[in-house]
Amino acid sequence: MSDTQWPRFEVFKQDTLDKPHQAVGSVHAPDGETALLMARNVFVRRPKCHSLWVAPAEAILSMTHEELAAQGGAVEEDSAEFFPALYHIFRKTSQRRAMTFVEHVGALTAGNPRQALSQAIARFTDAPAWVWWVVPEAAVTRSQDEDAASWFDPADDKTYRHQSAYGTVLPRPDRRQADSSPNTTSG
Amino acid sequence: MTEDEKLVEFEARIARGEKIEPGDWMPDEYRRQLIRMISQHAHSEVVGMLPEGQWISAAPSLHRKLVLIAKVQDEAGHGQYLYHAAESLGATREELIDALLSGKAKYSSVFNYPTLTWADVAMIGWLVDGAAIKNQTMLAHASYGPYSRAMVRICAEETFHHKQGKEMIVYYATRGAPAQRAMAQDALNRWWWPSLMMFGPHDSDSSNSGVLTRWGIKTKSNDALRQEFVDEMVEEFSQINLQTPDPALRFEAETGHWRTGPINWDEFWQVLKGNGPCNAERLAARRQAHADGLWVREALAASAAKKAAVVG
Repeated sequence: MSDTQWPRFEVFKQDTLDKPHQAVGSVHAPDGETALLMARNVFVRRPKCHSLWVAPAEAILSMTHEELAAQGGAVEEDSAEFFPALYHIFRKTSQRRAMTFVEHVGALTAGNPRQALSQAIARFTDAPAWVWWVVPEAAVTRSQDEDAASWFDPADDKTYRHQSAYGTVLPRPDRRQADSSPNTTSG
Repeated sequence: MTEDEKLVEFEARIARGEKIEPGDWMPDEYRRQLIRMISQHAHSEVVGMLPEGQWISAAPSLHRKLVLIAKVQDEAGHGQYLYHAAESLGATREELIDALLSGKAKYSSVFNYPTLTWADVAMIGWLVDGAAIKNQTMLAHASYGPYSRAMVRICAEETFHHKQGKEMIVYYATRGAPAQRAMAQDALNRWWWPSLMMFGPHDSDSSNSGVLTRWGIKTKSNDALRQEFVDEMVEEFSQINLQTPDPALRFEAETGHWRTGPINWDEFWQVLKGNGPCNAERLAARRQAHADGLWVREALAASAAKKAAVVG
């Protein structure tokens, strides 16, 4: 393994139990366990996280709407071995400005990633798909549910990380304003 | 499709408000400009940790220390979001880091100035992060998906940086001891002009702006953003009896804008070229950090290799 170029892991964050895992970015790490720790430091400094997944970027099959159109709208067959396995399907359905990318829409069993993508396109038709990601379950390292409290709850106490903790209403020029700041330090 | 037809479709997609995502066709120039711009932005975040990081051990109270650590931590994270975005275009982390450590890569020149007092830390939060927010709010509309998303995430966190700095300066200027008020004014005197330069050269001197505007990366010009910033800040300073350090500053009634005196562009280009007060120190600190971290990288790699051997 070279000095600075560790493998890249895509990171998926589930804010609360009732929301899907969403792609938030990536980290470089020598393995999945370390990638999870890096992912927490980079993407979960502020609260609202129930679960983190990471998966090596090279294990992910990505297909944009444009790429699919260039192939005639259907996924090209490939000669990769058929071996039934579970694949997670992620999809980007909106062009609205956001901080997350594709989000988890379901999982299915298929013989290889391209077959999984074909099945996903046929199955998940409720919304326009701008980008598809297929992530093999075997490639996923995930945080443990029983660790969620110790991993993610401490961020809740750190309200000094929130912009709402700071008062920046300027005093009127003709009078001094009463202390509007929750921070009454003198330094 | 021919290259020309692809370019037409690419520009039509941008006009329709569609994000260009990794895997989509893009002109080589778009890719090149974005790698340059995003990596410079990433380097700026990482180098930007240094002028404030120096004050963590000298913060005036435990609370201030906690807040400063949180801010500097955020900046490390912001660098990570941006390196990720640059990598989505085909750059590798290794070449990006090498470009910074070798001195080849540029980063925002504002971080080549020294932080001489605690008020500098506060002023950086108000001015430098304030200027960054203006720029980043615009870039959140950028046509390239990963960059746009990194900007949205960064803007959400940067608001905390801006407000904590502003709150401190307002305190020092309106309720502080005379020495604190003087410290706030002194910090403004030294950080005002470098902050204005953060918006880049005048539009007429900006060589990269053409394609960046055409392809939906820059949707507001350097001068337009700078003017918004000036108008807001000058008003706010006057409300707390701080003096904008510009004897030529005047209010233009016809337009409602505050017009600044001439910006010292010689200084800007000199600092960018490597001749600012802290360029050598910043680069030396980055190289030292990289060297000091070698044992950590080696240990992690060894640990990973061991785990892989056990699994077989």
